[in-house]
Amino acid sequence: MLESIINFLSNTGFAQMIRQMGEMAAAGNWLQVIGTPLMLVVACILLYLAIVKKFEPLLLLPIAFGMFLTNLPMEFTQRLMHPQFFIDEQYLINGHDLDMQLIASQGGLLDLLYLGVKLGIYPPLIFLGIGYMTDFGPLIANPKSLLLGAAAQFGVFAAFFMALLLGAAGLGFDVKDAASIGIIGGADGPTAIFVTKTLAPALLPAIAIAAYSYMALIPVIQPPIMKLMTTKKMRSTVMEQLRPVSKTEKILFPIIVTLVVGLIVPDAISLIGCLMLGNLAKESGVIERLGKTMQNELMNIVTIFLGITVGATATAEQFLTPQTLGIIGLGLIAFCFSTFGGLVLGDIMYFATGGKVNPLIGSAGVSAVPMAARVSQQVGQKENPSNFLLMHAMGPNVAGVIGSAVAAGVFLAMFK
Amino acid sequence: MSISQALSEGVQTALIGLSTVFAVLIILMIVISIMKAVFYKKPKEKPATAVNAAEEELTRAIESLPVIDETPQEDEELIAVITAAIAASLNTSTYNLRIKSLRRVDNNQPAWNKAGIRETINSRF
Repeated sequence: MLESIINFLSNTGFAQMIRQMGEMAAAGNWLQVIGTPLMLVVACILLYLAIVKKFEPLLLLPIAFGMFLTNLPMEFTQRLMHPQFFIDEQYLINGHDLDMQLIASQGGLLDLLYLGVKLGIYPPLIFLGIGYMTDFGPLIANPKSLLLGAAAQFGVFAAFFMALLLGAAGLGFDVKDAASIGIIGGADGPTAIFVTKTLAPALLPAIAIAAYSYMALIPVIQPPIMKLMTTKKMRSTVMEQLRPVSKTEKILFPIIVTLVVGLIVPDAISLIGCLMLGNLAKESGVIERLGKTMQNELMNIVTIFLGITVGATATAEQFLTPQTLGIIGLGLIAFCFSTFGGLVLGDIMYFATGGKVNPLIGSAGVSAVPMAARVSQQVGQKENPSNFLLMHAMGPNVAGVIGSAVAAGVFLAMFK
Repeated sequence: MSISQALSEGVQTALIGLSTVFAVLIILMIVISIMKAVFYKKPKEKPATAVNAAEEELTRAIESLPVIDETPQEDEELIAVITAAIAASLNTSTYNLRIKSLRRVDNNQPAWNKAGIRETINSRF
């Protein structure tokens, strides 16, 4: 009787946790000694941010709960998720290929779902839904927006550059890590995950959490930079109304984009291809039923899987590292420089057109749709209450989605 | 990797990357501009005669209907809605139309037709 009680107690999570702490303390790894409880606290903070502060709750809540699940102290074989199976050379075939048999036989629930991230299935499927919900009309009406969408990728490369420098200075980022960190500046969650799972899977949780948190903070991050980079007169510029766009143009646009991007940056094609298929489904108007599934059921299912599994990779060993702090800092820098890049080109366009372009739409070039466009609208309206920049800002905004997917393709082509 | 290596690698990649992004988006910009030249025509002022012809035709059609006022009711809202709908389908303003009478057509669809329509609607959620 007593024996079975002791047996039961030694199987509980508490016993596990204490045993782990003892091992880590013996190994002299002090950060990891309190790793498990600390990660549970971090998960709870993220849950708080998602539920109370409403920071991108659709993603942050599953991420935080995934993090919570994966950090519950358990025997190795009981765990829901084993990030080691995907990262640790010990478990990979020849040091780099996934051991599918091992994952299928020993993996937990979340290991199996994580295959969708690792094999690059979820982000394109999310793009399918995003494509269906995106209206490229404002972009087609004002093709110059594309330049702003490109300029706002500046932060991607600025952060990449700084991550390399920090890496050389001793934080241990190599080019692949730096590229994954840089892509945070694209302000596009699925794209960031798509790049990171290939180039730097060990950094996935930190990068995904940084990307989604900063996206939620765009209304706080952007306005000060916008005010710094523009004058009052520039901000109150009223833009000409956009021309109406014909249906033919809207239908041809996704086909042309797929063709152009596919020919130049083939590595971006799984993202852009799905984005454009979703958009074509909407604009063609002939497969409404499929479109409904793309933008609702399919996207919601995939979002759940993506969030919970990305969160689940954040085990104490993976997450409690100096690199995570570096990523959180560099992510903010990436966002700031992306905003800055878009605004610089916005200013140039303002002067080049003799004051016809409001430079505030430049900051919408970071792709967080539609948050960044809404920020442009709000800042513009503060100067001139009768000014409506929203539709003008949607052009650079959706161009930013294409731009960051192209930047992702460039990184994948160079470092894969 | 040393600091100087990181510097050169970073600058190189940033230049290549940023110029690729710009190149792709500039090509798209050019293609869209061409598309505009080909497919976009400025909306012309609609010739008034076309509207008038349509209007006359409609008036004739409406007049040719036998006027059976079953339940004369003063439903101004309904009349306004129907007028607006006719105006929208003719691409003109309600000011150009004069509705003389409206009459409900009995729904004498066979039951099978109704069932078919219901099924089609349901299958599309």
